[in-house]
Amino acid sequence: MFSLADLWMWFAEPENWLGRYGLLNLLGEHLAISLSSILLASLLALPLGILIGHLGKGEALVVGLSSISRAIPTMGLLFALVMLLGIVNRELAVTLALAAIAVPPILAGAYSGISTIERSTKVAAIAQGMRPIQLIWHVELPLAASSIIGGLRIAFIQVVSTVVLAPLVGLGGLGFAIIQGLALRDFAQVTAGAIAIVLLTLFGNLVLGMLQQKTRLSTLRQIRAR
Amino acid sequence: MKKTAKLLIASAMTAVLALAGCAQTPSEPIVIGSQAYYSNEIIAEAYALVLEDAGYTVDRQFSLGQRDVYVPALLSGEVDLFPEYTGNLLQYFDATATATAADDVYSALTAALPAGLSALEMSGASDQDSYNVTANFAAQNNLTSIGDLAALTGLKLGGAPELAERPYGPTGLDSFYGVKVEFEATGDATVEALVAGLVNMANVYSADPRIQQLGLVTLADPLGLFLASNVVPIASDAVDQKARDLINKVSQAMTAQDLIAMNVRSVQEQLSPNQIAREWLFSKGLIK
Repeated sequence: MFSLADLWMWFAEPENWLGRYGLLNLLGEHLAISLSSILLASLLALPLGILIGHLGKGEALVVGLSSISRAIPTMGLLFALVMLLGIVNRELAVTLALAAIAVPPILAGAYSGISTIERSTKVAAIAQGMRPIQLIWHVELPLAASSIIGGLRIAFIQVVSTVVLAPLVGLGGLGFAIIQGLALRDFAQVTAGAIAIVLLTLFGNLVLGMLQQKTRLSTLRQIRAR
Repeated sequence: MKKTAKLLIASAMTAVLALAGCAQTPSEPIVIGSQAYYSNEIIAEAYALVLEDAGYTVDRQFSLGQRDVYVPALLSGEVDLFPEYTGNLLQYFDATATATAADDVYSALTAALPAGLSALEMSGASDQDSYNVTANFAAQNNLTSIGDLAALTGLKLGGAPELAERPYGPTGLDSFYGVKVEFEATGDATVEALVAGLVNMANVYSADPRIQQLGLVTLADPLGLFLASNVVPIASDAVDQKARDLINKVSQAMTAQDLIAMNVRSVQEQLSPNQIAREWLFSKGLIK
């Protein structure tokens, strides 16, 4: 086994931070893969969730999509996509597999944020002469912002903790430190990689949580000001 | 995650068995383990079948994962018999070992094994690290041996993440053969990455059926960069001499070609380890 001193020594060694498979580069790759998957998922799930919430039609689609994609094992999907798209397109395969797990929470966040707005609020906006686009932009989106960010927050946590699988198909990310460390029985490296992933997840969770809180407060303030 | 669950269940089961087996009786089964590697499981199955054929009771504890998990189980007596590989096991017990030739590795391993464990006769069959290139790349650059790569520049080496730090990895390639490579961790998709041209050369186990199937060229290693890794049964003191003799016959009969052929049957025909091992033993006259 290893001691805390070994872990400290690992972090103190510059070689472990720099280079192709150094901690900094792995962290950058980890973030890049995570963010591009969340972006791809958002492009699909945000407009769809907003539309379904706005129209009040197609809730079954939201429920169906979420349960289907939650039932798919991510690792299986990852390998299937790599085989289907070819190893040359492994970046795309990994992004798609991760986007698949990011879609349900983003979709649910957008949908529930908009569909739970009081009917009287929407009716009042329409009575003031707002067109559907204006209703969405000026009323529904600001009121749903906190819930939408909540969805993104859940997606971020799930994706960041699942990118760990990427080294299995030859991509980097912080999972590399764990997978290589296990094979080399370098438990200081395994722990260091795990700590980095935990810190990254907590940090993202904190930032998005603050953002969520802020949008909630500013919406409340606007409502009171009116 | 599925693997971990399996492993946990397996270790929990062996723990229960160990507790249950505290009282020594003559009919106590021989516990045979295997790695979570299909080829290793076929060999373990061959041991099991031969012993059963001779009237022994056998308890199969297969897919026990990596050495970190099953070596302690061997040492504590929860597992009695395990198919291993000389070179890789030697490195586990002695990371500084320098022997690379098959016989040297075997004697070093015999010396390095802790009390209570012994290496039975090693088999001619081996399953070891090897560097491979595609047939095209070999033809274009006239490659037959690892040393031939020294003339090339911009080489990319693919392999499991741990290869970066192994003595036979990029560092060893340079110091043994003067071959300079950039390492690319291709993980479980190493062979696919080699065929797709993402890397020029890749570390593939020598008994991997895909070397034959895809027409890969295994580069010769005249300077002994890789440790020889022959199949070797590791037995605890609980395995009696008669059982040892039976297992030694299996090792003597198994050639490198036999092992590859059995792996091909597993991958191509998707047969069970039991069926593959049974048919092989039958063809060698080792079981009736």
